Amino acid sequence: MGTILVFVAGVLFLAGILFIKPRAKCELMWKTVLNWSLYVVWYAITWIGISFVYINFNVGHVKATSTAIFLFLGISVVLAIALARLLGFIGVKKISNTTVQV
Amino acid sequence: MEEKGEQKHKFEMSRRNFLRAGATATALGVIGAIKAPVKVANAAVPSNVKFSAGAAGQWSKLHPEPDYGGATVRYAENNDQWLGTSKIVGTVKNISEADMGFALAARGLISDKAQRGFFNFVPKHPFGGAISWARTWIASEDAVDGQPAPEKLPIPDPEQMSQHIKDAAYFLRADEVGIGKMPPYAYYSHKIINPALLVHNPVEQCVKPFTERLPYVIVVMVDQHLETMLASTGYDGISASQSMRSYHATGNIAIILAKYIRSLGYHARAHHAANYGAVMGPCILASGLGELTRTGDCALHPRLGFRHKVAAVTTDLPLVPDKPIDFGLQDFCRVCGKCADNCPSGAITHDKDPVEHNGYLRWNTDMKKCTEFRVANEEGSSCGRCMKVCPWNSKENSWFHQAGLFIGSHGETSSKFLKSIDDMFGYGTEQIEKYKWWLEWPELYKVAPGLPPNPAAPPATSK
Ligand code: SF4
Ligand code: SF4
Repeated sequence: MGTILVFVAGVLFLAGILFIKPRAKCELMWKTVLNWSLYVVWYAITWIGISFVYINFNVGHVKATSTAIFLFLGISVVLAIALARLLGFIGVKKISNTTVQV
Repeated sequence: MEEKGEQKHKFEMSRRNFLRAGATATALGVIGAIKAPVKVANAAVPSNVKFSAGAAGQWSKLHPEPDYGGATVRYAENNDQWLGTSKIVGTVKNISEADMGFALAARGLISDKAQRGFFNFVPKHPFGGAISWARTWIASEDAVDGQPAPEKLPIPDPEQMSQHIKDAAYFLRADEVGIGKMPPYAYYSHKIINPALLVHNPVEQCVKPFTERLPYVIVVMVDQHLETMLASTGYDGISASQSMRSYHATGNIAIILAKYIRSLGYHARAHHAANYGAVMGPCILASGLGELTRTGDCALHPRLGFRHKVAAVTTDLPLVPDKPIDFGLQDFCRVCGKCADNCPSGAITHDKDPVEHNGYLRWNTDMKKCTEFRVANEEGSSCGRCMKVCPWNSKENSWFHQAGLFIGSHGETSSKFLKSIDDMFGYGTEQIEKYKWWLEWPELYKVAPGLPPNPAAPPATSK
């Protein structure tokens, strides 16, 4: 199961790169770097959390499992929202297509 | 009081600075005061024993590197001022086995209840009793000691032989093994002939002098079983069985290793829980297998914690001893105190620093309180609650616990951080029901009503 999780994590990491690539590149270099850095940090935290929860759940550390779900899921969601906002998946107002009527 | 304060101040030179000073002094060749080691036997001229050793400096062939579970480990000294991270501040006297905690209980020097409890606290649980009974078969003098073979067999050089002996221990299912320069003060001055004698007779009639002095000690360590500990309260019916499991396992390994070494033509004596000639704490430190903890004389291994028991073999087989280790445990114990918070008898001190005890510094734990609780515990058989809750003991082997050990071995601030995380995640104090495999018989846990008869006394009736 552990090996499968590592494999899934690797595949999803690459898929994620392909998915955000068109949006991650910005005219300002520092914005591009920020997007990619945030993606890597978000991805790492998420999978550290999954691994931590998986191992603790299997061993039977109940409090560690529930605390880790709360902690890592919380951080992961916050980072995901920030990343989605930066990449323009959420929070960007659509430009109206209507022409000005005289 | 003032004198005590002064004395304390004198000992406050930092350990690392002292080690540095010690290294310089060694380089200058001024440590002439160290007692000359007991004589190592000369090896027979090597011949072809069809052995290709691992690389120089390698731990062993089966385990090229020692496994410290992620902790950062530095080497420390074994001289007349330090044994690893334990500072020697006076003369460490060889103690009599009759002055150890359980013997004090048997002598009636703790309480009446403790004296009666000593004789049934293990066998009152049928499983603990069964393992303990098995130990008695390897307890005789013939099992632990004997004459070496008259002819020395050819063996490889001391470094290669050390690797080989470690692998022999791993092969015999030791979880850890180390080789140390035997501290002479680790030997008992006197050994108990039969614990039951202690109840009825003056102590001088119950002990005999222990005179062996050999230069090296091989220490083997066996885990007390993580899952069992996770399911236990630490002082229920399985507690003594956990100790007995590892006493029995290490005892078996030690007597086999000792016999093997004697067959090669060298002196070797096994020391295990059913027949000790030495105190194991200093042997563990000398063999690079741990540091002393807040609990007093328990030594903690970086990977196993003190969730282990050990046995030892003292020998004059030419070996290369390992160095004692320092992985920052003194700093960790200083800020942790989780064992003290959870000890059901209040035996473990909350003091910030160790104090002098028999010529060395250790935390001021009340051995009598601990012994009394263990032998008179009527909720189970013995106790290992401190072992259960200690952050170094309560984890499976995983990447984040390895990361935790790395953090924990880096000074007081990171130790405080790790201890808070440990508490936040509830490690140590939980009981994981799915691993509770043993049976409990609370009706059997009462302290014995009477004492055993005097083994020296003649039978009451004869026909
Ligand atoms: S064994 Fe039990 S009584 Fe003794 S020090 Fe540890 S927790 Fe306390
Ligand atoms: S519980 Fe804490 S203070 Fe006690 S031995 Fe373990 S690390 Fe040291």
